[in-house]
This record gives sequence, structure tokens and C-alpha cells, in this order.
Amino acid sequence: MDSVEVALVDVKARRRLSAAPLPGAPGAGPGTGEAGAGEAVAGEPGMFPVAPALRELLPRGGLARGSVVTVPDSGLLCMAVVAAASADGAWCAIAGMPEAGLAAGAGLGLDLERTLLVPYLGSVTGGSVTGGSVTGGSVTGGSVTGGSAGWPQVVASLLDGCELVLVRPPSRASAQVRQRLEATLRRARGVLVVAGDWPGAQVRLRVTAQGWTGLGDGFGRLRACCAEVVADGRGEAARAKTRWLWLPAEDGTVSVADPADIPLGMPGEEPGRGGLRVVNGG
Amino acid sequence: MSEPRATRETKPPASRVMVLRCPGLCADDVASGKRPAERGADPGAEREVARAFESVIQAVTEFCPAVEAVEPGVCAFAARGPARYFGGEEAVAGKIIAAVADLGIECRIGVADGLFAARLAARENARHDAREDAHAGAHAGAHGDAMTLIPPGTTGEFLGRQPVTVLADPELAGLLIRLGIRTLADLATLPVKDVANRFGAVGTAAHRLASGYDPRPVAVRPPAEDLSVAQEFDPPETSAEPLVFAAKTLAEQLHAGLAAKGLSCVRVQVYARWDDGRELSRLWRHDGLLTAVQVADRVRWQLDGWRAGPEAAKEVGGVVLLRLGPDQLVRATGQQLALWGEAVVTDRVARAAMRVQALLGHDAVLRPSLSGGRNVAEQVTQRPFWDKGEPRFPRDRPWPGQIPGAAPACVFSEPRAAEVTDDGGQPVTVSGRCVVSGIPAALTVGGDAPREVTGWAGPWPLTERWWEPDEVSRRARFQLVTDDGRAWLAAVRDGRWQIEGGYWLWAGTIRRFRGGNCRSG
Repeated sequence: MDSVEVALVDVKARRRLSAAPLPGAPGAGPGTGEAGAGEAVAGEPGMFPVAPALRELLPRGGLARGSVVTVPDSGLLCMAVVAAASADGAWCAIAGMPEAGLAAGAGLGLDLERTLLVPYLGSVTGGSVTGGSVTGGSVTGGSVTGGSAGWPQVVASLLDGCELVLVRPPSRASAQVRQRLEATLRRARGVLVVAGDWPGAQVRLRVTAQGWTGLGDGFGRLRACCAEVVADGRGEAARAKTRWLWLPAEDGTVSVADPADIPLGMPGEEPGRGGLRVVNGG
Repeated sequence: MSEPRATRETKPPASRVMVLRCPGLCADDVASGKRPAERGADPGAEREVARAFESVIQAVTEFCPAVEAVEPGVCAFAARGPARYFGGEEAVAGKIIAAVADLGIECRIGVADGLFAARLAARENARHDAREDAHAGAHAGAHGDAMTLIPPGTTGEFLGRQPVTVLADPELAGLLIRLGIRTLADLATLPVKDVANRFGAVGTAAHRLASGYDPRPVAVRPPAEDLSVAQEFDPPETSAEPLVFAAKTLAEQLHAGLAAKGLSCVRVQVYARWDDGRELSRLWRHDGLLTAVQVADRVRWQLDGWRAGPEAAKEVGGVVLLRLGPDQLVRATGQQLALWGEAVVTDRVARAAMRVQALLGHDAVLRPSLSGGRNVAEQVTQRPFWDKGEPRFPRDRPWPGQIPGAAPACVFSEPRAAEVTDDGGQPVTVSGRCVVSGIPAALTVGGDAPREVTGWAGPWPLTERWWEPDEVSRRARFQLVTDDGRAWLAAVRDGRWQIEGGYWLWAGTIRRFRGGNCRSG
């Protein structure tokens, strides 16, 4: 079950298996894309790689398995977080975001061949339908059994199958639901990216300013967006880090913005059209 | 003039075909050419009709094992063998009519050389055609008007008298009638190459029918066999484990039954009935790849998914019947798995996808792929997990008119209504020659407060599918940047502005935030 098929068939994965993962190499983000259920050393800090531009923002330069990352809402940022890991061979599920622009995601490196979409997460709340003895039958994989149906159960199922799960919860998750999903997440050793609020998330990412270049007064076209991304969170990530990124850069990927290039319309200066504006920092 | 006759004489004598037609069960009337869908048949009644017809075929099989179901309500078989055994075509037809009448179903039988003529003979109004022609030897037999026998060798004359409307092609028939060709004899007299020149393949096929050539011999229908397996539970089973265990045994039986016939099924139907009469049925992709345990897993998920649904709020009873049925039987040819170039769905992912499908339905889990198309919404094709197919807009074609540059991070399947005004507060319009009436200054999306437009480009006109009156779409697209740092993909269609996508880094509740001086860093 443990990705035998991948090892046999997927050439990429085979290459990855032969390249021994560097244990605990900081920032390097060694390829750890194979289905993670059977990884040998328990407690090994397995990390999913992220795009080079995002490494400095994240603790230990990658996405720690079993961790929760939040972004304020769906959009390019959440896809940028998981794109490199997806390109590296991990499966990615995008749930509750019917409007996700996957063409833009593919430009960032998201591999659509290994992407599952669940655009609508069904019922908004947990229905709490415990139907006597019939519910006694346990669910395979021991995820969220009985009790709350609805979106947490869908997300738990996705966590069992996909290493990376992007979700915009249709309703606020109660502490109990969060605990259950986090337990599933730790067991499945994946990464949950929540577009919304999730108290206790290891890393919180948000965009505090953004500005597009390339558009004039009736001419040009949108070329790239310069954004200020702030990361904070718990533990290692507690100290807030701020980076200017091109998100997306002109080639559709994400890269670090050179301070000289930042199209910043400072308040005192002439407020150039298309310049940066501060938006709600969430 | 004698040419077609000559061709008809040189062809091998057509075999005698007996056609049985149940007027009450017919979905398709040859004369009117109506399809059941047009008559608004409901699926329940359709199933009832199919079941009745199945019993008719069973009855006919008693007399002749090789029966072809031509279409709903019509079946055919070679008449020679049964006629010899039962002592004449009339005797067989009489026995069959009696047997079908015992089922409470009315039927008519026609016998002629070839399937097409026999079908015409089985129609109700064929009767008096044949009677008029008593000298030709057609007769109505002991069962009165329930059968029409066209004696061997006279099928040509019988066919020749039929109007061209029997060709079940109203368009062609109408054209032929306007050209003065009213009967099949008229059509058959025409040289075949002229017919082919004027009417193409359809005309040639009609000409062949009119000349007494059947498109194909009667195909033998393999005896229907129910390969589904079922288990009843008495007393009703209320816990899931015994059901799943039973499902595993059933799946083994099903696989053994299929393998014995060298068959495999594309999908497997899992059907469960509760003691209070509720039913639950779902089709699962099988492709001959699932083991018995995997089928049992699907039964478990299906029961779980049902329990999670709103239906379960009611009192949960026990399951009285569990049935597994193969759907779409195909020859088992083995499976070749993708070697490379295609991401292989691992067991783990497949199981997760199916569990979510069990919870939310088959269409809830999609796999995207990049495709072509001129609009942002068309550039990703989403198809339900397990389904295969080609994208509607292939990616390897040129798609002039695509918006260049970065793809929007948000693509709305339903465009949002918007308003764009110029400095004077007047709505910005785009003329038929793609001239913008004013410079966009403010953008209002839905119920949000207006945003100041700080940059714009366009219009990029796009006219699509102008050859399809229902699908024609004429739009002028714009890119807009507003003072909150967001970029928008907007379009003017029928004089109205709409937002097709957004380039911002996050979506959802759109809040306005003004003032560029609160950045601390």
C-alpha cells in the first residue's frame, strides 16, 4: 500500500527514492514527497519543500509534516505554499474553494495531475447523526467516526489520502473538531493549509500589501504582483518575518523581490497609478 | 427500368425472418418516428415496459432460443428452423401469439424475407395492405389480424407498395415525396449511383432497403442472464460489520460468476434495501480491478455515507437485502497500467477520493487538467474522479484571443455583476467598434462600496461561436487595478459589466481599506 506503485512507475519518484533524504538538513527541504505513512524513523522531522522565495518565511525552511498553516483566504498565496511540494510528487487536495484559479496554481508549480478538487464541502455543520448500533461500525482508517458528518469528515478523508490539503472551512471549526483533525493530520503526516481562522496553527501567513505592475492608463497588461508577506505563528515561528515577494512574478512563479524594484507609492510621494496600497492586514 | 430488378434477382435469397411487435411496449413508432423521450415517458414506466418486454422475449425463447431484441417492443428471429419444427410459419406464429397473450400482452407478428420487410409486415396497418393484395398470396392466418405472412418471393412487391415514410427518416422521406418518389418501388427503380450522388450515404442505405437488401442479418441475442448476486437478511441486519462481511462473500461470488463467462464489468452497482422500504443504490467504478475486499470497502463507505446524510436523521432500521450487480459487461481483456507519463493514483489517494464520493456524491471529487479555450474559466477542465475523457478545449490548438500574462488566482464560474463609471459618474460603455465611452474611474462589484480604478487596459474584444445562435458570445474584456492593490478581469457583455476573475492574493469577503500610510515597515 505504501506507494509501491509510485516507486515502480513514477520515474520522478524513483529518482527521489534513490536520492537519500538528508535528515534534518535545515532549509534544504529534501524531497520527501512519497506517501508518508510508512516513513522509517518515527519523530524524524520530515519536511515538504517550498519555493525558495518562501523558505525564509517558514521555520526550518519548509512545511513540517503534521503542521497547520493558515492564510487569510483562498487565493494565490495558499497555492504558492504547497506548489513546490506538489511538484515534488505529493498529492494535493483543494477543498471548499470553487473559485481557485488552477491555471495560476499550475503556473506556480502545482501539479494538476496530482490534485484533487472538492469544490463544495457539503453540509455546513456537523450533523451529529449517531444512529444507534449501525454507527457502531468503525470507519476504515479510524478517522472521524460517527458524530460529526459534514466537512470535517470530508477533510479527514482527504488527509488520509493526500499529503497536502487546502481547505476553506464553510463554518468555524469547534475546538473538538480541530483537535480531531489535527490528530488525523499528525497520523497521516501531511500538511493542512487552512484559508481562514485556525487557532493553534503552527504558521500564519498573510499579505499586508500588494501592488500590480504592467498596467497603464488604457494600455499594457498585468505582468507581476509585488506583495509583502508576513509570517508568524507558534514556537519556532513566533517571531514575525516579513518578506517582499513577486507573487506571481512575470513567469507565473514566486520569487523574492529586490527592494529596488518594489513599485512602492509612498504616501508622501506622488501616488503613482498602479502603485502599492496597504490593505487590511487581517 | 429493369436494372434494379436484375440486381435483386442476382442477390442471394434473403432468409425468412419473423418479427414480433408489441404495440403497447413500443418506444418507437416506425411511421411517426417519435422517440420515447419526446413522448415524455417517465423512467419508472420505462422500466415497467422493459420488464414486460423481457417477459415477452422469455416466452418467445420457448419456441426459438435465438431471439434478437431489435428495439423496445420489437424482437426478431429466423423463421426457418421453428417453422420446420412446428409445421409451418403460421403454426409457430399462432403458438407465439397465444403464449404472449397468456402474459396479457397484445402482439402482432410479421413474416417476410428479410428483417426490414418483416418489421413492416408486423405493423398494424400492414394488414390491409396485405389483404388488398390477396392475389399475391399474403394472408392473415387463423389468428385473424394478428399476423401478416408475406409468402416467400413476394417480399419485393410488398416492399414496393410501401410509402417512403416507412424509412424512418422524416427528412429524407419528405424530400423524396416532394420529388415525386412516393413508394419504395419508385425509389428502387432509380439507379443506385444517382441516389448516392443526390442523397449520399443515407440515400444509398434507403435504396438498399427499398431494393430488399437488409443492412444485416438477424443478430442472435444471447440468453439473458442475471449475473447479480444478492443476500437477504432475516431478521434485518442493523450493524455494519455483518453487512460488510456479507458484501465480501457476495463480491467473491460475483467475480467468480463473471470470470466463468470471461466477462468483466465497468462498474458495480451496490444496492441495499431497508426494512422500511428505503433503498440505496450507487454505482462504483470497477473496471475489473477491484478485489472482493475492495468491493466490500465500497459497501462500507456507501453505508457510512448514507448514514452521514440527512436521510439518516430518521429512525435507522435494518438492512433486509444487499445486492451487487455488474453494470456494463465487457470482455475481460486484462488491464495495462500506465507505464509513465501519467501520474498513478495510489491506493491511498483512490481510497480517500472514494470515501469523499461516498459522502458527497460522484461529482463532488474532481481532477483538474489544463486545457485550451479563450476564457479563463475554460482553461482548466474538471472531471469527476475516475472519469476519463478529452477536454472540450484541447490545449494543443491555438486559441487567439486569450488574455496574455498572468492567470487570475480566482476564477468565478458565474461572473459577478459589476458597474464601472467614469469621472463624471456615467457608466462606461463600449461601442460596437470597440470604442470606450470614457476612462474607467470607479468599480463597484456587487454590493461593495465603489473602488477607485488606478489602472486599466483594454478593451480586448472577443466574439465566440457566432455560428451557433444559442451560444454566441460577444464581449470586450478589460483588466482593471483598483486602489486597494487588487487587479480584476472584467468584461462587458450586452452592455453590462461583469467580473470574470480576480488577480488578488486572496478572495472572499471583500473589504475596502483606504489610506496608504499605515504601513509600518
